[in-house]
Amino acid sequence: MSSFALAWRNLVRQRRRTALMGVVVAFGFAAFALAGGFIAQSFEGLREGTIRSVGQLQAVDRRAVSSSEETTLEFGITDAARARAIVARDPAVASVLPRSDFVGLATNGAKSIPYLGVGVDPEPEAAATGARELVTVGSYLSGDGGDGVLLGTGLASALAVRPGDRVTLMATTPDGSLNAVDGVVRGLVDVRIKELNDRYLAAGAGLVSRLLQSSGTVSKLVIFLKPGADEAAAARRIASALSAAGHNVTLRSWRQLAVFYEQVKLLYVGIFGFVGTVLVVIVILSAAIVMTMAVTERTREIGTLRALGTRPSGVLWMFLAEGVAIAVIGCVAGAVFAFIVRAVLNAWGFTLPPPPGGTHGEPIHVQLYPLAYAAGLVAMVVTMGIASYFPARRAARLSIVEALAHV
Amino acid sequence: MAPSPEPGSDPSPLLEARDVTRTYRMGVERVPAVQDVSLQVRASEFVALQGPSGSGKTTLLNILGLLDRPDAGTLLIAGREAGGLSENERADLRRDRFGFVFQTFNLIPVLSAQENVAYPMALAGVAAGERRTRAEQLLAAVGLEQKASVRPDLLSGGQRQRVAIARALANHPAVVFADEPTANLDSKTAEDILDLMRGLCDSRRVAFLFATHDPRVVARARRVVSLHDGRIESDVVSPEAPR
Repeated sequence: MSSFALAWRNLVRQRRRTALMGVVVAFGFAAFALAGGFIAQSFEGLREGTIRSVGQLQAVDRRAVSSSEETTLEFGITDAARARAIVARDPAVASVLPRSDFVGLATNGAKSIPYLGVGVDPEPEAAATGARELVTVGSYLSGDGGDGVLLGTGLASALAVRPGDRVTLMATTPDGSLNAVDGVVRGLVDVRIKELNDRYLAAGAGLVSRLLQSSGTVSKLVIFLKPGADEAAAARRIASALSAAGHNVTLRSWRQLAVFYEQVKLLYVGIFGFVGTVLVVIVILSAAIVMTMAVTERTREIGTLRALGTRPSGVLWMFLAEGVAIAVIGCVAGAVFAFIVRAVLNAWGFTLPPPPGGTHGEPIHVQLYPLAYAAGLVAMVVTMGIASYFPARRAARLSIVEALAHV
Repeated sequence: MAPSPEPGSDPSPLLEARDVTRTYRMGVERVPAVQDVSLQVRASEFVALQGPSGSGKTTLLNILGLLDRPDAGTLLIAGREAGGLSENERADLRRDRFGFVFQTFNLIPVLSAQENVAYPMALAGVAAGERRTRAEQLLAAVGLEQKASVRPDLLSGGQRQRVAIARALANHPAVVFADEPTANLDSKTAEDILDLMRGLCDSRRVAFLFATHDPRVVARARRVVSLHDGRIESDVVSPEAPR
């Protein structure tokens, strides 16, 4: 009869207490598993969304990194078609999207609203970013875009225009003069950041070229890589190839561009860490109280075991084993519970409120994240080990005579 | 202090206490429980430590059984000085050379009668098969072979004490310490238990050392050590006591 076997018998004997602690551990474990899965899903979604927006890599003129443009496309990539072809030849590249950033005023004849414009190559852009899915009214730009424009629903509302209506776009050209062209609203897009939604405008390269009078120059090349491609190696090759062709560009990864991604990640890790710490403290305190009660109730039994020749370490291991066994039982129950809760959450499609500045809440989706389950198991076993250790040590150090006399 | 009885034919005592003293602290007061006691116990002795409450008999029993440490004096186990032994060494000695029978039986409630008897053997590393065989034999020796699989809470007081006696004999001890073993038993059961212990003492050459108030135990003892105020008042061998 080992200390572990004796520990198991005691757990069975004290069913109610074992069940109570098991439930505490199960909830703790399920919280770890579910929160971990939710956060993993959030990180994954945020990462995908970020990459969809900014690409995995961006090639920009070196000057654009450290300075602000005085005029439109001042630091643009000239001979963009050639640069795009060079990038597209890299074996890791899935697609290359030229983009031109510009600002100006959009007017319906009666009212003028500032906009933030982006010039795109519509078909490749839609294929790589899923931009077509953001269109809520009307249609996406077709072909090279022609004279079509897409407006954020906020901007369209402010201008009181709908698909088919005409708008006049004004902007400054690279040489500083003011230019205006007419465009036709093809569709409205729902940009999920409200401030941007109120200013967003997209147009095909042809219209942007006419507006800015800057044929062949773009602000950046947005690069998407094939799945599993080595991002850093691809960046080095592409930079080298562009440099060899005389382009003074640098490549930046999506992590460098999307500073908010790391900030959000840190925020989530901080929140998760804090909640996890509170959880662990609650489990430790609960378990320590329960184990202390167990030691107190079984004081005379401990004295007997010691009198019969059980070493102090044997008593210590017995109580530690009880704690760890409860942790394992609780984790198994917690895993089942987490599976059920996860299925319910994912099936019912609960939606989170929109983030600050956002227009849409995200549906809650909890991923099955094995690492969170493993972390939950380790956390609960360690937690119960710590919670059991001090009562167990006290049991091991009891005076045999006093323990035998305990009433 | 009375001298130990005649050494007998065995020159080396199993237990020897020399000028052992144990004092307890009661608040700010220090209460001497055992004072300068010297005593020897040899193989196969059936010894009763008797005296009024507070005379120090249980304290002396605990010290001799390595359950407690004296404040002063020397304790020898089979000639080996026990004062410097670590907790683990003391536990091993209790496991291998001593058996214990308690007033309240102190069986492990989650173990069956057989498992209770086998527990000290498991501590000593005896193989499972041998543990089972020996536990069955010991339960048969105390008349409980039919109760091997029964948990303690389903046994009577007398049956529990028999299991405790069988457990005390599990690792072939040299000495069994029994603290008021008949106090919680009715007269008939107490008589039976004492007869059983005396028989085991003779048949297995195990020394039994009792701390007791019970005149029936004293009547059966071959040697009676009387304590008063922590000191040995008399140490008498009763030749007429049945062996």
